[in-house]
Amino acid sequence: MRKKIGVFVCHCGINIAGTVDVKKVAQELSEFPGVSYTVDYVYMCSDPGQNLIIQKIKEEKLDGVVVACCSPNLHETTFRRAAQSAGLNPYECEIANIREQCSWVHKDKDKATEKAIKITKGIVEKLRWNEPLQPIKVPVTKRALIIGGGIAGIQTALDLANSDIEVVLVEKNPSIGGHMIQLSETFPTLDCSQCILTPKMVEVSKHPKIKLYTYSEVQEVTGYVGNFQAKILKKPRYVDPDKCTLCDECTQVCPVVVPNEFDLGLTGRKAIYIPFPQAIPATYTLDIEACPGVLPIACGKCWDVCEPKAIDFDMKPEIVEEKVGAIVVATGYDLYDKKNMAEYGYGKYPDVLDGLQFERLLSASGPTRGKILRPSDHKEPKEIVFIQCVGSRDPELHNKYCSKICCMYTAKHAKLYKHHVHDGQAYVFYIDIRAGGKGYEEFVNRTMEEEGVLYLRGKVSKVFEENGKLVVWGVDTLAGQDIEIRADMVVLAMAIRPSSGAEKLAKILKAAQDTDGFFAEAHPKLRPVESLTAGVFLAGVAQAPKDIPDTVAQAGGAAIKVVSILSQPELLHSPLVAQVNEHLCTGCSMCVDVCPFSALSIVEGKAKVNEVLCEGCGTCAATCLRSAIEVKNLTHLQVHDMLTASLGGLK
Amino acid sequence: MVEVEKIREEARRLLQEGQVRGVIGYVRGPQGVWAVPAMIRNPEDVDRLVWNPTCVHNLVLFVVEEKKEQARQKEPDKRPLAVVVKGCDSRAINVLLQEKFIEREEVILLGVSCENSGVVDKKKLLNLVPSQKIEEIVYGNNGHIVAVIDGERRVFPPEEVLADRCLECQANFPVVYDHFFGEKIKKEAINTSPGVDKIEKMRLEERRRFWEEELSRCLRCYACRSVCPMCYCTECVVDPISFAVEPTTTAEEKAKKIKWIEKSPLLSENFVYHLVRAIHLAGRCVDCGECERVCPEDIPIRLLNKKLEREAWRLFNYVAGMDSQAPSLFSTFKETDPEDFIR
Repeated sequence: MRKKIGVFVCHCGINIAGTVDVKKVAQELSEFPGVSYTVDYVYMCSDPGQNLIIQKIKEEKLDGVVVACCSPNLHETTFRRAAQSAGLNPYECEIANIREQCSWVHKDKDKATEKAIKITKGIVEKLRWNEPLQPIKVPVTKRALIIGGGIAGIQTALDLANSDIEVVLVEKNPSIGGHMIQLSETFPTLDCSQCILTPKMVEVSKHPKIKLYTYSEVQEVTGYVGNFQAKILKKPRYVDPDKCTLCDECTQVCPVVVPNEFDLGLTGRKAIYIPFPQAIPATYTLDIEACPGVLPIACGKCWDVCEPKAIDFDMKPEIVEEKVGAIVVATGYDLYDKKNMAEYGYGKYPDVLDGLQFERLLSASGPTRGKILRPSDHKEPKEIVFIQCVGSRDPELHNKYCSKICCMYTAKHAKLYKHHVHDGQAYVFYIDIRAGGKGYEEFVNRTMEEEGVLYLRGKVSKVFEENGKLVVWGVDTLAGQDIEIRADMVVLAMAIRPSSGAEKLAKILKAAQDTDGFFAEAHPKLRPVESLTAGVFLAGVAQAPKDIPDTVAQAGGAAIKVVSILSQPELLHSPLVAQVNEHLCTGCSMCVDVCPFSALSIVEGKAKVNEVLCEGCGTCAATCLRSAIEVKNLTHLQVHDMLTASLGGLK
Repeated sequence: MVEVEKIREEARRLLQEGQVRGVIGYVRGPQGVWAVPAMIRNPEDVDRLVWNPTCVHNLVLFVVEEKKEQARQKEPDKRPLAVVVKGCDSRAINVLLQEKFIEREEVILLGVSCENSGVVDKKKLLNLVPSQKIEEIVYGNNGHIVAVIDGERRVFPPEEVLADRCLECQANFPVVYDHFFGEKIKKEAINTSPGVDKIEKMRLEERRRFWEEELSRCLRCYACRSVCPMCYCTECVVDPISFAVEPTTTAEEKAKKIKWIEKSPLLSENFVYHLVRAIHLAGRCVDCGECERVCPEDIPIRLLNKKLEREAWRLFNYVAGMDSQAPSLFSTFKETDPEDFIR
């Protein structure tokens, strides 16, 4: 039990001192039992402030320090380090939050002062019982798992592999490349998307440090930061990539045609297929759902013509286990479901396309070899309408957030349309233009001014077909008039949604999602690539809508975060973990059920804490009916004494 | 109708074959007609077993006591115990299974039907029949209770003499058992708790006054806790007297003992005791009504538990003790759980 506690009260300029009488706090605390020294100072976190703490610990032979200042989220580490340098255990220093929880939320100085005194007394009571603790040391597996093989995953994988860290890259589709490989040209410089991405894809496939699992999914992840075990399901391709010579004989004979996902249904593909010519790995995949049957009796034409005998109908799903130290989620996005946009005739009229379909039309490798032709009659559209914010920024009916990339790609689409169809007219319906990026504003302006694309500020209420034309009913809010355009083609800038597998993956990783389903970052400003789960990082649209430059930048950020973990010889884990009083534990396992980190188990009838998994959240302590489990340095006794002090003492 | 002879037959067989180390059941008590719990260990004693509307006790309590006793023994008899369970009692077994306090193999459950009726409230009956000369109390037709008084049969309708919890009960046959006696008759749903309705209609101030009045009488004799099969903890969190102080206990250790609650039966301390107990029973209490029955001060303890039972159903569709495999109320979280109480 500590008997010589020093209390250091910070003014934080006027942040605290403006509302709290800091001198009075120091004065009152000096009379509190167990406190042997108190002082107030204008900025405790400044160098002189820290030195004051260090000096007084030594001079006054303090055995504990309470700093009454801002939230422990900000300066707990600062002051614990200072205490440590003066010879105390870091856990002999505690923070009393009299700013966020007091001065900032109150106006009445007398009452705020009274509250600050109670808060500080509570922390002194807590500190009295604090145990000096040592961090828990954990070994590290120097490998990383990256989930998702789009540009975000590819970039993270390359950055990590080039930092000499082994990477396991898992992609659910037959090829890596993600959505970026489907795009034609990229804003604002109009470089060919495939041309800039395929070198990176090739590098991934050839990199000695990258182990690639395509057509695979992460099924289960156990363990903790530094030591995860992932179970990866390898779906059977029914084609042996080593034997396949890419002769394409199989697709010639395959009798089944299904919509081609890569072209978003604008073309068909066979049941045995290669997604696109530059696919990595370069091999064919047999779509078992479309194939009339793996029983050779049913069809087996592909097997007959395959000379190297690369087709194997007996392939089975395989589960592989990989040990990794960190995980990067780069699962990207899906477009908002078309069935939500019935008013625009999306899914009903063949010439109403989404942005990605239009990308395929523009693409030199696309279904029309780069010519803009209507899917319905293969004629060139002379009047084309682009509608922005379809399903975005619509909290009542659709998604409340901005999908961020649509303003820019619509400008690009309109511009490219004009490059292809010189005598055509393009219209863009927009709410406002968000072009905040290097060269973005200039790009949009050029589209308007040089290409003569007509931007109409307003929403579209309805799109319907009449005499072979798509009639677009909209409104121009600047001119204040209703607009009717008889168009040949309508392109919808559909909202982007978190990838369909995101929810399942979030559960597997125990990583939090935000209200829109994107993976939640640990802090919106200061920890944007870290998830709330230690060792799990985020890259790309999995975290929030963003364009390619931002995605690549974030991927690099995620990579360095992984490096910062995996480059350490061992990880230090906070020792503030749950502990079980076996005498009181009845083994009811309620704590096991509630633990969000799977850190608890029942061993021989008693609860047992895996200290490395435990994050010290205290859910178990709150659940246990028998008070048999508590968090170190936040024991029931400490909570009791804090309450007593905060209530002004019980008698 | 439950034929008591069949219960005796089964009990005799289990004991004779040595399958169980004892049978916990009801026997005619020293006060004549009123049944009391008994542990039968000898096959010759099984004829003492009875089943009638005075079998009020929740015998699961003795399963708990036996389990604790076993833990103290060096070489305990590991054979299971047979126990007579009513509907509510059987749900208490489920809660114990859920909380892994016992294993299913440790008990053989002799389930009895409450005959579309229930058990009698002694106080209610004695109010109607002042004389203590009741010779027998048996089940009549349609849930009626028949008392034989001075050789004369008097029939009472259920609402006059049954315990409140039985009037409010909707599952009057066991949900878990090994042998079943009687018929499974699903009772008509009567109002599940008129008492809670009344309390819920009160304004907050009124409610507080009501409870202040009731709880001020509490002597903190802990009879409610002692009779409750769910209160099986070796150390109760509100009980400062049970913290053992040994010669080796240091001053610091003594100082570390928390006193959440004072021993003296002051109103504030009584509130803490009863509210903590109620919360600790939420999603666990099966409304066997024993706490209220044994209370010497007639405090309506069931009301607190009943209110939480209603909340558990209203907010989480949870009924205590229906499924031993389901996770308990406090250890489940669903994303669809209401959270409008967080403001």
